Amino acid sequence: MADRGYLGEFEHLVILALLRLEDRAYGVTVRQEIESRTKRDVSIGAVYATLERLEAKGYVASRRGEPTPERGGRSKRLFRVTARGLAAVNRTQRALQSMTADLDLIGSYS
Amino acid sequence: MTSPAEFVQPPRLARWLVALFNSAGKADSIAGDLQEEFSQLTSSSGLASARSWYWRQAIKTAPHLAAMDFREAPWSTAAAILGGFLLCRFVYWLPNQLLGALTDKYLTYWSTHFKAYMLLATDGMFIAHLLASLLVGSIVAFAAKGREMIATSILGLILVALGLVASIIWLVRTGDLWMSLLLCADALAMVVGGMLLRMHRAHAAESIAKS
Repeated sequence: MADRGYLGEFEHLVILALLRLEDRAYGVTVRQEIESRTKRDVSIGAVYATLERLEAKGYVASRRGEPTPERGGRSKRLFRVTARGLAAVNRTQRALQSMTADLDLIGSYS
Repeated sequence: MTSPAEFVQPPRLARWLVALFNSAGKADSIAGDLQEEFSQLTSSSGLASARSWYWRQAIKTAPHLAAMDFREAPWSTAAAILGGFLLCRFVYWLPNQLLGALTDKYLTYWSTHFKAYMLLATDGMFIAHLLASLLVGSIVAFAAKGREMIATSILGLILVALGLVASIIWLVRTGDLWMSLLLCADALAMVVGGMLLRMHRAHAAESIAKS
């Protein structure tokens, strides 16, 4: 059956961060990307909880990177968006655009 | 050359808090990410700011890690919690029975040493309850392998919630806060039981990885 799921608000932000970061997407960069662009305080736990959920849905895939000294010899977990994840983000974007079309959000509701 | 910031470790207690809730599969990446950002912040904003950042991250991250653990195996964790709850009934019944048996057996001794009997019936029972809770916490943690903290924390919260209702009734009737304190101490002892088993398992896993 075709997947018709939409992304939650934070899931949406995380997937967009993964798309922006391309092959540099791991916990630190994803957290910093969201924090710097949205100006909201984001914890690494919230990022991982969302990434795990997205991975369980098949929207994201992960692989282990090499251990590095600045991480105390621990390895990175690198993430990428799958084709299914890309379809979900497109679906969510289209729904948002459709809902916000013709609304003067800044003029009327700010 | 290695910069001095690389040698600075994040606050020990905050690291311990993250490790406590960080299950084996995710431990490396999350602890590594926190360490990496801590080193970056130490170089850019100073040690005090980096330490405060690490503490904030640790406190906010622990509940997410616990929730992730629960989502990974909700049924087995729920079964461990339910088992622990049922076990409480039996384990808390034991000290009362023991006290009853001791009272009956040494009745003449207690009648001449009433203060000793009172000590046994109050402080002795309190300690027995705490030990029983510690045991239940350890058993629940043992059953909920890898999800020790979420299982014992939920069981502790259930006991506190049930105890709160009972202690309100008790407080209204007697004006005594003793019961609510006892229930909170029981719940805390249960979480400590889970914590001890979790730490033991983490050390064992570390030793195996090193060897």
